[in-house]
Order: sequence, then C-alpha cells, then structure tokens
Amino acid sequence: MPPAAETKLGYTPPDGGWGWAVVLGAFISIGFSYAFPKSLTVYFKEIQAYFSVSYSEIAWVSSVMLATMYAAGQWHQTFDTIFRLNVLIAVINSNSFLCAGPVSSILVNRYGSRPVVMVGGLMVSSGMVLASFGTSIIHLYLCVGVIGGLGLAFNLQPSLAIVGTYFHVKRPLANGLAMTGSPVVLFTLAPLNQFLFDCFGWRGSFLILGAIVLNCCVAGALMRPVKKSVKPQPKTETPPAASEEDGARSSDFQIEENQTESRCQGCAHRFIDFSLFKHRGFLIYLIGNVVMFFGLFAPVVFLAPYARHQGIDEYSSAFLLSIFALVDMFVRPLTGLLGNTKWIRPRIQYFFSFAVFFNGVCHLLCPLAQGYVGLVLYTVVFGMAFGMLCALLFEVLMDLIGAQHFSSAVGLVTIIECGPVLLGPPISGALVDAFGDYKYMFYACGVILSACGIFFFVMHFYNYKKLDEERKQSLAAERRTSEEAVKLKMSPDDKAAYEAEG
Amino acid sequence: MQSIRVTVQLENDKYTLRQVFKIVSKENLGSYSCSFGDEAKADFLLAGPQIGEVRDKPIVSYVGDSVVVKCKMDEKKPKPASWNWYKANGTDKEQIFYAAEPQKYEIKNHEWVTKLVVHKLTEGDSGFYYCEGVYAVSTTMGHVELKVITFLEPLKPFIAIIVEVIVLVAAILIYEKSQSKKNSAGGNETNADQTNTPTPGDNNGPEESSSTRQRKV
Repeated sequence: MPPAAETKLGYTPPDGGWGWAVVLGAFISIGFSYAFPKSLTVYFKEIQAYFSVSYSEIAWVSSVMLATMYAAGQWHQTFDTIFRLNVLIAVINSNSFLCAGPVSSILVNRYGSRPVVMVGGLMVSSGMVLASFGTSIIHLYLCVGVIGGLGLAFNLQPSLAIVGTYFHVKRPLANGLAMTGSPVVLFTLAPLNQFLFDCFGWRGSFLILGAIVLNCCVAGALMRPVKKSVKPQPKTETPPAASEEDGARSSDFQIEENQTESRCQGCAHRFIDFSLFKHRGFLIYLIGNVVMFFGLFAPVVFLAPYARHQGIDEYSSAFLLSIFALVDMFVRPLTGLLGNTKWIRPRIQYFFSFAVFFNGVCHLLCPLAQGYVGLVLYTVVFGMAFGMLCALLFEVLMDLIGAQHFSSAVGLVTIIECGPVLLGPPISGALVDAFGDYKYMFYACGVILSACGIFFFVMHFYNYKKLDEERKQSLAAERRTSEEAVKLKMSPDDKAAYEAEG
Repeated sequence: MQSIRVTVQLENDKYTLRQVFKIVSKENLGSYSCSFGDEAKADFLLAGPQIGEVRDKPIVSYVGDSVVVKCKMDEKKPKPASWNWYKANGTDKEQIFYAAEPQKYEIKNHEWVTKLVVHKLTEGDSGFYYCEGVYAVSTTMGHVELKVITFLEPLKPFIAIIVEVIVLVAAILIYEKSQSKKNSAGGNETNADQTNTPTPGDNNGPEESSSTRQRKV
C-alpha cells in the first residue's frame, strides 16, 4: 500500500475483500438512482389518460416548475403529450434528486453511508406505495417526484462515497463497475415495467415497484463502514508513482485541513466544505461540468424521437435505446479497467478530457448518419462515449479531491449542476423547434462537449504542472525541516523546536 | 351485381374510363371493378374508414377504481360523426347509454378520440367493450378488453419481495455481527478480511473501529 495514501486518508483502504460486496451494493443503488425515473415512462400514457391531465391544469404547481414547463411547452409541436409529461416528471425528479445532494452529503458526513442509503431506499419505496393509491396527479408528483427523488438522491451520493473509502489502488475499476449499475438496471427495468403494466395496470405496478426498489436497503446493508485502524505515519520520501499525484494533489489541501482536523484523522465532521471552492482542481471540474451538462443528456433524450422523425417505426426507435444501454453496460467496466492501468491512472484527467471530447465529436458527426444502419452506428459510438464519460465522472472528482472530502464535493457539484441538467433538454428542444430540424441541436451539443473536452485538457495540463511544482516544493521543504529538526534536537531547546514543527 | 356498359374513344393513344358514383348509403359500398374487354381489369374496394389504434392487450384496473377506455381514429381519415359504445354480453352487444347511468359511465368524444370512463368498477365489468364510429354511410368497430382485478393480485408479489428484502438484510447484518464477534474474540488479531496488507497489531485498532461502527450505524 503506498504510504502517501495512508497519510492522506489516515488508514489503509482494503482494495478488495468486503470492498467488492460494497461495489455490488453501490451497483444496485446507483442503478436504481439513475435508471428508475427513466423507466417509469412506460406508465405515462395511461396515467395521463386516467387523470385527464393537460399542461395548463398542473401549471400552478410551483414557480420554478412553471418556468421550466413554459420553456418545455414551447417545443410541443414536435412531440406528443406523453413526452411532455415525461419531461415534467423527470424535471420534478431531478429537482429533488439534485437539490437533495447537499443534504445527503451532510448526512453521510455525520452518519456514514449505510443509514443514509437504507433510509433512501425506504423513502422511495414508501413514495411508490403511496403513489399507487394516488387520487390526483399532484399526489403522484409529490410521491414519485419529491419523495422518490429525495430517496434516490440519498442512494446515489453515499454509494459513490463509500466506494472511495474502500478502494484506492483499484478505485477506477471499482467506480467503473459501480457506475455500470445504471445501464444494467435500466435494461432490466424497462421490459419488466412493461410486463408489470400489462399484468397489473399502473397502480399495481407502482405497488410492486415499491417493493422492488426496497432492494436498495439490501444494498445499504452491504455498505459496512470501512474499518479504519488509525495510525499516524510519517510522510516518506519516496512514494510510488501511482499515488504520487494523488498524495500531492491533496497534500496542499491536507496542510490546511491538518490544523483543524488535528486528532480526528478518520472522521469528516464538517457539514459542507465551502473551502472546496479554493481548490483548483475542484473549480476546473465544476466549471467544465456545468457547461458540459447542457449538452450531455439532450442527445439521449432525443435519440428515439430523432429516429421516429427520420421515418423509423416506434419499436425500432425504442430498440436504439436498448442498443445504447447494452453498449454502455460493457464500456463502463472496461473504462474502469483501462483507467486503472499504470499508463492512464496518473494522468486520468486526460482520459476524462478525451471521453468528453469523443462525445462532442460523436454528436457533430451524427447528422451524417443516414438510414437505420447509420443511426445504429451512431448509437453504438454514442454508447461507448457516454459510457466512458460516466464511468470516469466521479472517479476524476475523487482523484482531484480525495476520498475524505468527496462527500461534500459531490453535494456541492450536484446542486450546482442542477441548472444545466434541468435546462439542457428543454433548450435543446427549443432549438429543434426553432429550426424544425434536429441537426442543429446535435451540432450545438457537439460543440459544447468538444469545447469542454478541450477546456479540461488544457486546464488539467496546467493543473498537473502546478501540482508537480508544488510537490517538489513541499518535498524540498520537508527535507529542510527534518534536517533542521535533527540539528535542533542536538541543541538544548529541543522542546521548543518540537512544538514549532508539530 | 350491377353492370354498366360504356363506350370510350381513343384519346392520345389511350382509352380512359371515368365514372362517378354517388355513395349515399351503406349499400353503395363494396367492391367495384372495371374491365376493358379481356385486355384490362381493375378492382376497387370502397369501404368506410377503419379504426386504427386500439390496445390489443387488456386494460387492467381495480375494483372500486375508475378506468378510461380509449378508441382512436387515425387523424388522416375523416372524423366520425358520432361514437357509440357497447359492452359485450355473452355473444350480444349491449349499447351503453350515457344518460341511463351517469354515475357509472361517462362518454367523452373529442374529434378523432372517444373515451369511455367507467366508475366504481366491479369484477362484472370485465370483458370486451366495443367502440363504434358512425359515419354517414358506414360504421366501424373496434374493441378493447377490460380486466378488473382486486388489490390482492399485486399484493402477493409485493409481499414476496418484501420478505426477500427482509431476509437478505437480516442475513447480511447477522453475518457481519458474527464476523465481528469472531474478530473481537480473536483478541488483537486484525480483521483479515478488511485489509490486504499486514498492519501492526494495535490495541486501539479493533476497539476504535467497533466504536466507529457503533457511531455510524
């Protein structure tokens, strides 16, 4: 185990053993968090008919919702009502989901991952069960959207955080595997939901889904808090290459933190760590991500409608999404494996920049795809790019920040990303409507993502350089102080010197 | 079968026959054909618009709940003048009258779509429902199946899954407890399943970790 990691975390992450069970738990939790809202679209047609809902009736729900809905309502010509309802529930879900980010960070910092995930699972479950008795569309939105959304948020962040505590050397692989939960659960839930709907109608399905989602509690049970045998270790002079960057990157951070953390090496009692905003790597990540999310999800949302627009029938269009999920499923663990190799791990930020850029290029080339075969090809390439990006999304944040502060970082990041995630699809939709053609939307997304890729590449080049410089400086400084300490020890005021050093 | 005989003149090297038929009633629909001696023949089938989208799988709903049964005519075809709804009664079809039982049935027609809302469902309401689009010269029929079940149906898988979850959670937590008992019974031994590398036996280790665990769980 590289000693630099120990000094940073205060303990030795197991990198295996029970860690793999935790990865399984994270797989399930993350899977439900991302895939569950998307899979509910099967029910929308009947729910909408049942409640005879029109857009104007529910427009008063909240002013934030109103703004988004009007934005979304502008582009209704191209799409049917079901799709709008789709967006509506997705928006409410995302609202709760993303805005609950900081809340779950605080809770994880205080109580650890396990209780938060189990409570989250209970919340989603009870939300769905309550929704199955729903008598109005508002009831549904509150239960599924708000309670469900919060519950899912309480599943996502703790899962990511706990993987970081169990793994260091194999962390990219563990993250890649955990993130694979999303396409796998989506792939399983979509046909399952259709089957449930055919057998039990939407009410019965919601009830049964409430039970299925309770498996998040099983995932939570697996998330045993990692055993931290705390031992203060002196910083060694020769840390091996893999964690060098890591230790150095967080070293400047740790020097600030050391004074405040003092005895409490293993615990992170801070609520929300606003000092993260001074962290260079964090700022790069944040700025890049905020812009990136405007263009990231829109192509996924519009893939099937675009296919139908090209004249492809409904089933083949839906099949494109299955292809997308299938490719995604395999690419994520592969990316994790690649990210773990000794060539890529030290410079994993470049790998992430490449993934973002790849996404951009993929969308820019999309309008060239002709016919169903062209679209299938685009879907496969897009699936690869998207999978790569998602597998690395949180790994690079952990790489920049370190596992200790990850919880707070992810909370801050998600609440700030709330905006672009919610606004992205409606703005893209407005683009499609304004030009009457999908290709401008693809160009826009492609440009945004390529630009972000280049931004990340350039900024991380600069960041790596600065970190290397800082590490050299801090190593030199340590050498100097330890030499001085040796000299001072020989002198009678050694006690004073000790305090000055400590 | 009626037949009409027409003489045509040669125009631009072609013989063209154009005949206008007034479609007044259902009797005027059917198959028409024209033939040019033995050399050419064309057949036409005149029919009223047919109902497009109907759900082929049954609609499932619950006792005491209400349900919306929908029939839709393709928007490219003309709008039906009116709609009728029938419920299958054995081999017969019994028309549903809007006014007769307003608490039970509601019919909402809007251009190409007709919706039958059935309130206070009972198991007897299961079966086939027929929607009939009425045009001046023809009618067209579509059917949808309704299945009414009680809440006990989904409750069975629901409870089964809940039991599975409880069993798994209990098993995992009991396994964990037994592991920790073994470790603390073993004294200063570090937990072999937690760490890869050998760490120096530390008195503070297991105690601190168990207190950490208690605090967090």
